[in-house]
Amino acid sequence: MARLLQIFGFLSVLFRGATLSFESLTIGGIVFLNFVVRSANAQSEAVNQACLRWIRRSAVALALMQLAYILASSLILMQSADMTLSDVSGANFVLAGVLAIASALIIAALAGAQPAKNYTLLLFPAALILVSSVMTSHAMARLDYRLPLAIVTALHQGATATWLGGLFYLLIAIPRSPDNQFARQLIARFSKLALISVAVLATAGFLLSLAYVGSIPAIYGTSYGIMVATKVVLFGTLLLLGALNFQIARSPSGGSVIASLKRFGEAELGIGITVILTAASLTSLPPAIDLKTDRVSAQEIAARLSPQIPRLASPSVQDLPEDVYAAEVKAFDVGTLSSASFVPGQAGTRPNTTAEKSWSEYNHHWAGLIVLAIGLLAFLAQTKHFPWARNWPLLFLGLSLFLFLRSDPETWPLGPNGFWVTLQDPEVLLHRIFALLVIGLAIFEWRVQTGRVATERARLIFPALVAVASALLLTHSHSLGNIKEEVLAELSHAPLAILGVVAGWSRWLELRLPSENKVRDRMAWLWPTCLVLIGLLLLNYREM
Amino acid sequence: MRPAHRVRLAVCLFAAFALFSMARSAIAHAILLESSPSLNSSVGGSSIPIKLRFNVRIDATRSRLTLVKPDASTQALIVAKDAPADTLASQTQGLGPGEYRIRWQVLASDGHITRGEIPFQVTRP
Repeated sequence: MARLLQIFGFLSVLFRGATLSFESLTIGGIVFLNFVVRSANAQSEAVNQACLRWIRRSAVALALMQLAYILASSLILMQSADMTLSDVSGANFVLAGVLAIASALIIAALAGAQPAKNYTLLLFPAALILVSSVMTSHAMARLDYRLPLAIVTALHQGATATWLGGLFYLLIAIPRSPDNQFARQLIARFSKLALISVAVLATAGFLLSLAYVGSIPAIYGTSYGIMVATKVVLFGTLLLLGALNFQIARSPSGGSVIASLKRFGEAELGIGITVILTAASLTSLPPAIDLKTDRVSAQEIAARLSPQIPRLASPSVQDLPEDVYAAEVKAFDVGTLSSASFVPGQAGTRPNTTAEKSWSEYNHHWAGLIVLAIGLLAFLAQTKHFPWARNWPLLFLGLSLFLFLRSDPETWPLGPNGFWVTLQDPEVLLHRIFALLVIGLAIFEWRVQTGRVATERARLIFPALVAVASALLLTHSHSLGNIKEEVLAELSHAPLAILGVVAGWSRWLELRLPSENKVRDRMAWLWPTCLVLIGLLLLNYREM
Repeated sequence: MRPAHRVRLAVCLFAAFALFSMARSAIAHAILLESSPSLNSSVGGSSIPIKLRFNVRIDATRSRLTLVKPDASTQALIVAKDAPADTLASQTQGLGPGEYRIRWQVLASDGHITRGEIPFQVTRP
């Protein structure tokens, strides 16, 4: 049963991530249609139809994902908390979900109605989707300032959807514009809308930080604070891309202007989704302001981050204790897991043993050596003086084998658990998927670097996978308490994730920007730099 | 790249992020801030008020309190309806001396439960 709960817990997380993404796409599309395209006339017909088509698809996907999320979460509650169906059906998250599903289906119906001339009507169900999202937010769970916090949360989420969801529709609309002038008109209107959205979401974000973080020590001393800081850094990257776009949108017409705008837009959208998912992760953590004890101090951070010699010798598998999740379930059953708040179906709060920490440090340090070598070779390859250095992606094969062998010592081939257990334990499964992703990365990028693949799509696999893997790092699972080790681990993972996101999207831009754009040359050096920095950070990763 | 391909690429990217994201998507998990009786405390008397305060509003009608007695038998406690929005309250009756545990399980507004236990000792009736 515990494993089943874990699988449903894992699925509900996936559904939630998908729900948030489709929510942004649905709301963003409706706002785009109303405030950027504005009219339904013969000239804009192709743009209107494409936008309506994607709004409809996003709304249906949102309804399906939301339904799946409710079902998975309800099953978890019924199985783990002995609740009946009628108990669950009146719960707040079910009511909020039903509201979102109904609103999404209304949007799908309205967007599919022919001829659709009045898009204003779509704004009402879009607002209801926002209401449903706020219903399950931190704001509604607070005791004080509930209404103002709910309004600020709605503004924050609405502005994010308008900006990032809208960007997706801009990328769709540009190639369907009847002429360049129409496309530039859309870009100019969207730029204004994006500026307003950014101002609103930044202001609302600041106010929410005041309410949920509250102090400087809470930023670096709690998991919540660190995730807020990560979000702010990613937001800064988005602003930088937005500023480049804004500058281009106001430059005189040229052949590469619209092409550059589209490329920056793609990177902006990708980083934006990472920010949305970081925000989703953030909301699972108790607000920093609620955790007054056990915060990490600046001295503890300095001690942990001070450079030390990497650990290149590993403890043996026999030194490692039993599986963390099994130990936690047992602890709860015998009543030794007393004071901590514990989420059924999530792995837990037992502190790692010294052997486990050494095992993990060894893994990180060897991975760091490989990534550092990859970064340095990629650097050499960029100089064009060392053609052999272009084979650097093959080093990823070594990384994959290493991850496969070392990530989960309790499972096959090192441990007693058989191969099929990997399909039941979400954490092990995730590590195995990671190892496969790395193999894919190695093969595709090696073929690209050595000129065996010329198609644009294959060239984009490496940056896309690097960006996805980095987004994964930001959503690694954590427990509820403000355990210092968790916070310190978060502190070391957040910069790795940010550098990974920057590496992925800078390589993307190097490949996608038109050659006339000078930013492309800078991007060509940025991603190898990020890889070198990731390698160095991994080499100094410590758990004790 | 044709527009259709570009759209497909953008959608794939979007979907990849959504599907591969292991977002810790639970929202507003409740954590226990303080309790009466407090953790590992000793209390006197056979009738003991129970009060658990959380960091957020909780769904009290869908939350549970269970008393684990010294002989390991359990008794479901009736959750008070008039407690503050962040508090789970109840009252125990007729407790003899011994080691007890309060098992709590709360549902937060997002539909996620958290659980925990508070061991305490009753010294005299």
